[in-house]
This record gives sequence, structure tokens and C-alpha cells, in this order.
Amino acid sequence: MMIIMKANATPQQTEAVIAKVKAEGLNVHLSQGVEATIIGAIGETHSIPLERFEGMDGVEVVQRITKPYKLASRQFHPEDSLVPLDGFHVGGDEIAVIAGPCSVESRSQILETAQAVKEAGASALRGGVFKPRTSPYSFQGLGEEGLELLAEAREATGLPIVAEIMSQVQVDVMVKYVDVLQVGARNMQNFNLLRAIGETRTAVLLKRGLSASVEELLMSAEYILAGGNNRVMLCERGIRTFETSTRNTTDINAIPVLKSLTHLPVILDPSHSTGYSEFVAAVARAGIAAGADGLIVEVHPDPAKAVSDGRQSLKPEAFAAMVKQVGQIAQVMGRKLAVSSAYQPAKQGWA
Amino acid sequence: MMIIMRPGAPREQIDAVIAAVEGHKLSAHPIFGVEQTIIGAVGDGHYVLKETFEAFPGVLEVQRISKPYKLASRQFHEQDSVFEFNGFTIGGTEVPIIAGPCSVEGRTQILEVAQAVKEAGANALRGGVFKPRTSPYAFQGLGEEGLEYMAEAREKTGLPLVVEVMAVSQIEMMEKYVDIFQLGARNMQNFNLLRALGETRTPVLFKRGMSATIEEMLMASEYILNGGNHKVILCERGIRTFETATRNTTDINAVPVLKKLTHLPVVMDPSHSTGDSAYVQSIARASVAAGADGLIVEVHQDPPRAISDGKQSLTPEAFAKMVKQVKAVAEAVDRKLV
Repeated sequence: MMIIMKANATPQQTEAVIAKVKAEGLNVHLSQGVEATIIGAIGETHSIPLERFEGMDGVEVVQRITKPYKLASRQFHPEDSLVPLDGFHVGGDEIAVIAGPCSVESRSQILETAQAVKEAGASALRGGVFKPRTSPYSFQGLGEEGLELLAEAREATGLPIVAEIMSQVQVDVMVKYVDVLQVGARNMQNFNLLRAIGETRTAVLLKRGLSASVEELLMSAEYILAGGNNRVMLCERGIRTFETSTRNTTDINAIPVLKSLTHLPVILDPSHSTGYSEFVAAVARAGIAAGADGLIVEVHPDPAKAVSDGRQSLKPEAFAAMVKQVGQIAQVMGRKLAVSSAYQPAKQGWA
Repeated sequence: MMIIMRPGAPREQIDAVIAAVEGHKLSAHPIFGVEQTIIGAVGDGHYVLKETFEAFPGVLEVQRISKPYKLASRQFHEQDSVFEFNGFTIGGTEVPIIAGPCSVEGRTQILEVAQAVKEAGANALRGGVFKPRTSPYAFQGLGEEGLEYMAEAREKTGLPLVVEVMAVSQIEMMEKYVDIFQLGARNMQNFNLLRALGETRTPVLFKRGMSATIEEMLMASEYILNGGNHKVILCERGIRTFETATRNTTDINAVPVLKKLTHLPVVMDPSHSTGDSAYVQSIARASVAAGADGLIVEVHQDPPRAISDGKQSLTPEAFAKMVKQVKAVAEAVDRKLV
């Protein structure tokens, strides 16, 4: 941490800051320039808030040099973390493709979609049962009934289940059913929920908030990791910008940036990051080419009749075409698509 | 265009709007709802502004249905536009790569980089001689002297030249030297410059403004096309967002969106869109995977000593590696490097 003193700071004020730095167990490195005095605070600073020094008399500005997160950082853990799912790992050579409807709507809908995405090459099944809808009047999800349907779909296809959790009161019921807890963009900084998930040992897909910086995303991951749950996967799902031709703006930079800052797997959600099914395949290919460890994609047997996110959902055939293209890009990257352990290759095969 | 009237707007106001619509040689289709009346204006209305109707009494809102640009739109020109240069085409199956330093710094520097990028697989040479620097105290470019060095580099390597034009007054002199004018992000809505470029027949590499929407970009390109210069290459170079981990945010969505909306070639500038050489290769691969028609990349033989953009410039070796990776991705999407 660098504490830059005001040009007119008194020696007493500088002394007081130095004393405080030492009291925090940090070493002091003082550099007195012609105009400004800079105090370097050296040691384990990630847990010390900047505010501790910012309010002191004579302090102009405090700058953090090391990252404010630790468990999530690549410095702390140089090797890529692998998150084990049913028969494959996310974060290594294998590219996970999670697919399924936005919402679980009915038994036939989820069973049919699960079968279709499995045949097209998906390695896990998504489906929301608690839905964070912008409008309180929109469909809010089937709840536990939906979880039972997802469990049945897993039974039938062998695909592990990814479902969104919206509140810590849902933790107990969700962990009984799901393989991966999804934390939605709107809950990225729901710190009580993050702490509660940190107490579980269920894998987590943590989505980036709509207006969250990469650093804020990593700080949220740190909440879960600090609780002892180290099976965290990060997900870029588009950010809010001035551009209106797409629902969100895919921050494709976030992929190499995250891969350099953290050891956690990075997944891209091209359905939400574009908002339009016609752009999903292009951005899915881009995600893998940029180094993403997986994709989460919305697929619906009949997008026009979907109760939510129809505009951005792929039909099973379009999804199969996307998987083929993504498989080719994965190969170029020296990687391959993941296959869940219970997966039986479809007759026609896939790239 | 849909003109939505206020609830309870009297008949006279509705009739006045209908008359105005018809005055623009559009046909008016009023829909009388329980609460509100909507007037559909149908016809070739791309040149009619929303503002034309917004100020009428009783009008709540005007919504455009068709695009406000025409020459740039894929509706007007269904086939991809393909432009030919010395040694390559852009907009077709080939994915050309433009590379070179941010600024021409001196004769040896540009001759050396030109040779290096050519050997690594570049198809055109970039190099700025008039620099739009944020600070008026920063290096502003070598001007015509720089163009002479660029011309010498072309002589030696055969690479066509891409150079930024900043003002109308530079066009005549620059045309003698350059193969492609670059219109920089900061000048995307410099309409006088756009009109002047439209008068030339030199191709334009047209960069998206830092805070420009895709529609604004296409409208601005329409200025050049409308002047009769139809060789416009669009370039995504990152937009301004709240994210500070990178210099800009690469709007990768813009690649498939533009390919859908327009027939013009779309290239990516991963150097500016990330601002960090560590991320350039990843984004270059991603762009070609997303369907971009080309790349423009900053390369410098000694980035720490570059006068400008050193942090985002690749060394010739890193650039050669990037070209290799991009080649593999291009082949995976059924395209090829030149």
C-alpha cells in the first residue's frame, strides 16, 4: 500500500501514519520527495481497508499495490483450479458446455430439452426453478417441484444439474438436488448468500453482476472461498453499457484478464451477454478462442413459446451446430469438449 | 416509423400528423385504439428524421422501425462487400492483418518494423504520422516526413499503407502516399472530415467512436458512402465502460451484429480494445472466431521504448505467434489468412 501525504502535511502527521502502519504489523518504507512524502506499507495488506488510512490527517491518497483478494488470486495459487463435476473437470483441458432452458417449465419440457442438449453434446444441464425476474408479475419459477423434475432429467441423461439459488433460505433444499449452485448476476453482491454458499461444499457458478468490475467479481468469489468452499467457477454474462443493439455487452476482455488474475475456471454465457439467439454461436466461439473454460447456453425446444428468455434461447438444432463449431475452436486451442460420465454417444456423433 | 399519439389526442392533431406523413411521400396507417392512436408511416423513410414528427402537438413518441441508414445496410446491399488491395482482399474468405507501430518514429524504426511484420505474415502496414494524443504536450507525429518513410517501407516490403487522417486539410497531401485512410475513433463524428473522405476514392478504415453505438457508427459511415466512396472498412476498437482492468472494453458482440446489419467488412483492433499486449492474442483469436474480416494490431520492435502505445504493442516475435494462432482459428471457421 502506498500512502501519499499532502504537500503541506506536518512531520507529526507523517509520524502518526507511520505509527499506524507499524501497528497493523506492516513494514514502513519512507520516501521523502521535494513536494510529497510517500509512505510504503509492506506486508500482508489484502485484509486492510484503504479507509483505515484515508481518514487520517495529512493523507492525500492511499493506493493499493497488491490485490484486495487473496484466495482467488493466481499469486496465491499459481496452478489452474479444477472443479470436478460428474466425470469431468472444469478448468483443465476439458471445455464444459452447460445447456438448458432459462426456466424449468414442466416435466415434458425439461426432460425433452435435457435429452436434446445431451445428444447435441452438452456436458451439464441448466434450468432455473427460482427466477429473478425484473417484473414481480412475471413467472417466478416452479420451486422445489422444478428441482424434482431436474433430478429426474439427471437420472434420465446423466447430466449434472446447474440451478440458480436466490436466497440463503434455499440452500438446504438446493444442495439436496443440484450439482452446481448458480449465483445470478443480481445476487453477485448478496453477501449473506455468498457466505451461506461458502459454508456448503457444493460447486458454485458465480455470475458477474451487470455493473460489476472484474475486481468486484473476484472479491465476491473471495467470500465463498473464505468460507472454505473452493469449488468456484466464474461466469462472464455481459455488462451494462450504452450500446442498445444487444441486451448486454460481452466483456470478452474479461476472459484473458480473469485467466491472468485468478486460478478459478472462467465460463462465458453468450445467451445473456448478447440477448439474441442469432449472435450466440459467434460469441460462444469467441469465448473459447479467448481462453474460456466453458459455456453456459440457453436452449429451449420451442423458443417462441418459452415463458422466459425466448429471444436468446437456441433451438436444439442450432445448439448442436454451435457445439460443433465450438468443438473445432477447442481443438485449435489444444482442448476438447467435456463429456459427463454417464454420457452415451449419440448415433450421429458430434465434432 | 410509428408515431404514437398522446392518450386523448383530438382528431385535428391526428389529422395534422397524417397530413405531415403524407407530405413526406409516406403512406399513413392510423390505428385507433381504446386509449391511444398510433400512426404507421410506411415507405422509404430512411431520410425522414424522427424529429420531423416529434414536435407536433399531441405526439407522445416516435419510433423508427426501419434503419436510419441505407447505403451501409445489408438490406440495400445483400452481398458482402469485398475490396481488393495489392496482395489481398478484405470482406471475403481472406482474413488480412494490418500491423505496425502506433507512430512512425523515424526512418530506421519504420523500415525495421515493416520488414518484421511482413515476415511474420502481415498484409498491410500501419503507422501514424498525425497523432490524436490526449495531451497536447505528447508527441504529435512526424507529419509528411513520416509519410515519406512509410512510402519507403512500402517500396521495400510491398505492404500497402494505412495511415490516420485527422483533418480535411491533410487529405490532399496524404492521398499521394497512403493506400487506406484511417479515420480515428475521436473523429468518428467529425462530419466535415467524413464528407471530405466521401469525395475521395481512397478506401477508409473507419474506427468506432469510444462512446458510439453501432447505429451511430453506421450513420457516420453513411456520410462517406453517400459521397460516392464506397470502400469503407469498419473497425471495432473497444468502447468506454465502467471496467478499469483494461483500457477499453472489446465489444465482441459488435462483430456479429455488424455482420448482420451491414455488408461492409468488419475488422478488430485488439491493441486498443484491450490496451495491454498481454491480452491482444486472446482477443485477436476471439475476433476471428466471432467472424471478423481482419485485424489491425500495433507492433513495435522495442515496446518499452515506443513513443506511444508501448504497453499495448506486441514485439515482432509475439506478433508472429499471434499470426500463427489466428491462422488456426481462421481455418476452424472456414477462412484463411492471406
